[in-house]
Amino acid sequence: MSYQGREYDIPAYVNALKKELALCADGQRVRSIYFGGGTPSLLSPEQVQGIMDTVHSLFGVDKTAEVTLEANPGTVDEPYLAAIRASGINRLSLGVQSLENSELALLGRIHTSAEAGQAVRFARNTGFTNLSLDLIYGVPGQTMAGWRETLEGIIEFGPEHISLYPLTLEDDAPLKLKIERGEVSPIDPDCAADQYELAQDLMESHGYRHYEISNWARAGYECRHNMVYWHNQSYLGAGVAAHSHIDGHRTANTADLDCYLSAYSNNTPLTHDLNEKIGPELQLSETVILGLRLSEGIEAVEIQRRFGIDLLRQYRQQVAEAVSLGLLECAGSRIRLTRKGRLLGNEVFWRFLPE
Amino acid sequence: MTQAIDKTTVRNFCIIAHIDHGKSTLADRLIELTGAMRKEELREQVMDSMELERERGITIKAKAIRLDYKANDGKTYRLNLIDTPGHVDFSYEVSRTLAACEGAVLVIDASQGIQAQTLANVYLAMEHNLEIIPVLNKIDLPSAEIERVLDEIESVLGYGTENMLLISAKTGQGVPHLLERIVQRIPPPGGNADSPLRALIFDSHYDSYKGVIAYLRVTDGRISKGDNLRLMGQGTEMEVLEVGYFAPEPCPVQTLSAGDVGYIATGLKNVAECRVGDTVTSESNGAAEPLLGYRPAKPMVFAGIYPTEADDYQELRAAIDKLSLNDASLSYEPESSPLLGYGFRCGFLGLLHMDIVRERLEREFALALLVTAPGVSFTVTKTSGQTVTVVNPTDLPQPHEIERIEEPWVSISVITPSKFIGPLMELVMGCGGMHKRTEYLGHSKTPGELGQRVQLEFDMPLRSMLTTFYDQLKSRSQGYASLDYEFVGYREAKLVKLDVLVNGVLADAFSRIVPPEKAHDIGEAIISKLKEEIPRQLFQVPLQAAVGSRIVARANIPAKRKDVLAKCYGGDVTRKRKLLEKQKEGKRKLKQIGKVDVPKEAFTSVLKLNW
Repeated sequence: MSYQGREYDIPAYVNALKKELALCADGQRVRSIYFGGGTPSLLSPEQVQGIMDTVHSLFGVDKTAEVTLEANPGTVDEPYLAAIRASGINRLSLGVQSLENSELALLGRIHTSAEAGQAVRFARNTGFTNLSLDLIYGVPGQTMAGWRETLEGIIEFGPEHISLYPLTLEDDAPLKLKIERGEVSPIDPDCAADQYELAQDLMESHGYRHYEISNWARAGYECRHNMVYWHNQSYLGAGVAAHSHIDGHRTANTADLDCYLSAYSNNTPLTHDLNEKIGPELQLSETVILGLRLSEGIEAVEIQRRFGIDLLRQYRQQVAEAVSLGLLECAGSRIRLTRKGRLLGNEVFWRFLPE
Repeated sequence: MTQAIDKTTVRNFCIIAHIDHGKSTLADRLIELTGAMRKEELREQVMDSMELERERGITIKAKAIRLDYKANDGKTYRLNLIDTPGHVDFSYEVSRTLAACEGAVLVIDASQGIQAQTLANVYLAMEHNLEIIPVLNKIDLPSAEIERVLDEIESVLGYGTENMLLISAKTGQGVPHLLERIVQRIPPPGGNADSPLRALIFDSHYDSYKGVIAYLRVTDGRISKGDNLRLMGQGTEMEVLEVGYFAPEPCPVQTLSAGDVGYIATGLKNVAECRVGDTVTSESNGAAEPLLGYRPAKPMVFAGIYPTEADDYQELRAAIDKLSLNDASLSYEPESSPLLGYGFRCGFLGLLHMDIVRERLEREFALALLVTAPGVSFTVTKTSGQTVTVVNPTDLPQPHEIERIEEPWVSISVITPSKFIGPLMELVMGCGGMHKRTEYLGHSKTPGELGQRVQLEFDMPLRSMLTTFYDQLKSRSQGYASLDYEFVGYREAKLVKLDVLVNGVLADAFSRIVPPEKAHDIGEAIISKLKEEIPRQLFQVPLQAAVGSRIVARANIPAKRKDVLAKCYGGDVTRKRKLLEKQKEGKRKLKQIGKVDVPKEAFTSVLKLNW
């Protein structure tokens, strides 16, 4: 979440965050840590260090744990990256978005294409060996040729991991208003589909494995943290608007920064924007839907072990329909999206929701 | 309560006017000035009470109000003001109402002048030998063109300026003079109270306590509570549960006698048993001849009405049953469509009637409806010699089985400034109309920039009126043209059935009966609307419009390529799942044509498509 103009609250926020972590701590083992949502690179190296120390003091963090921090090009320099690298951040996710300055401007990004390249160099120079870059496609005015150039430029940077997202517009996004006023051409879903397909081909040929609908990685560099989500496993989220999934409950901390801060300064209970008990039926549904996002798909044996049901029997009709539509394929006891199905995932997913 | 009074002090009259010329406002002023209601009691437009009835849940329709008026000659007169329906769809009801009166106040708007329904109403009043009192209304408005309109009235209707009353129904200016004139000019009713009973029903409605309430004008004889009566046209027999009049609240009396206007409560369960235009007489020793030839009003316009949700069929049935208790001219037959499920093919007097029924079903019964494109009733003679009536396009026999198709024609009268003659001629000709007559109204010395006003007369298939005709008439004449029409009979027609195929499957609800030369354009319009409204499917969907096996228009909806929640991490799961739930729920609401999911909006907009 972003809270513009609230930078002066960062110290108080970091304190609150540490308190929350302390309250949640119960000797859990931690395999991955992710600083994300909003702009965590606004934290000073000392603040990052402080949070890391807190985590290490409260939880059993694996020696090989993946520790990611999201950052935007243009906001981080070499000394900063060196410092956070030293505090244990070992994976950097850079929101490059595009290598076309006109697109960056349209997307409301403050950095330039040159700064993106610079950020990658800084990361490499400071010892980051696990680097992820984000790009956006389906941008109004983005041509196939332009998109290819951006992709090739990114591949040239040689990151271990790449995420590609189609442009989506929230209701109040300035770009959406521009489109409604006719100042910018609307998003063309067919063009976005073409761009996605081009990306699949190009990345594959450069040795990136398409391991999730929007994610590609060199072998062994799949984001371990995000795999937890797609395997529908447990995770603890801390901070304002953070989501957790623990013991069949999905919760979201309040998205109101003042509320969040006052809860920890006054030692009052934190309010939740969401507190949902996920029953077994829904749990199964979500496991299938999330699992289908992965190129490996779902293993019926795994579902049998976890839920005690026969996936292919329980969803016989849904599977048959999706297969006949060319969206899903079966391989032994595994089901997974086809190439066509990756672009039409929702048409598969909704079929697996409980009645 | 009131003893029989001297018939010579009774005046039975109505107000006739083109729509919006001020009929209801004038009625209010008459009610107020005669003291039947004080101004503060007087809700706006007492006679126009449908909306009020609905809002207040009262069941009394003030269709005829008795007003006591103390005239300048010192005598108190009993004025029976009878309301007339204000639209051409109800011309039959209008003519029955006129038959119950001796006089009519003709209201003409001082800005708009003579309009099509002004003329139609005048002719009807003259047919019934009514004394007509012409008044020029809205003279207080800045836009009033008193001189010009008086000139026009004199040259078209022959009422000299000296005979015209200038009034403002809104302010009451001139209305006292009108009351005097009503008393002076309109003759008292004739008839004989000692002859066998004859009373004309000019309106009826259903009341859940008293059964059908019939509004009637007693011409001969008497009606008292407890009488056993018979309808001469329909043969219905009934006992009079209550007799009375409205002032404007119902006032029960012992007896209504020759010359009186009032109501009877019949206990009948359905207005269809007690229709407008029929003559009431005594069950024994009744009259020999009815007052007027009775014919039930015949539906002219037909459309299928279906519930949006198939589960609502029983509710729709109950709602239509209930509505028809009060609307004898609404006909309905159950029908079913592979696409729309179970519904009714309904017959209406005209488009306005259809809109009223639809709106009431939706508003009063909270039903969501799909209404098919309105059509007429065709008479088809088959090669076998058999004749069939077709009110649903899907029932049109195969082309090779058809010997001849006949369709209803109307005679239309349009009044317009001469500037718009060209575009209006073009419109009517484009609708298959035939020009009959052009007549200039009046000889204004100073015709404005729009030119002299003209009456145009045409014959035209009723079918052509059921689309955008009226809207186009208005837009091509900048709103100036007015329209009146009447049914003239059936004429032979050259027509074909246009079918719509979605993914090769016939979508029966979209079929229309059209002239062959228009099949392509109408087909194109339907196809392009469908293309707009049907979301892209997982496969390419061909859309075709066909006459028999000949495709007259086609388009493809390309397959959907992208529909995926691309970003889904820990904080997104619940929100994304809700989006999928919505998508699933949306699927459930879609109707299917073949394998194609079609949203309700696609049906509504194609069915609404005017051609």
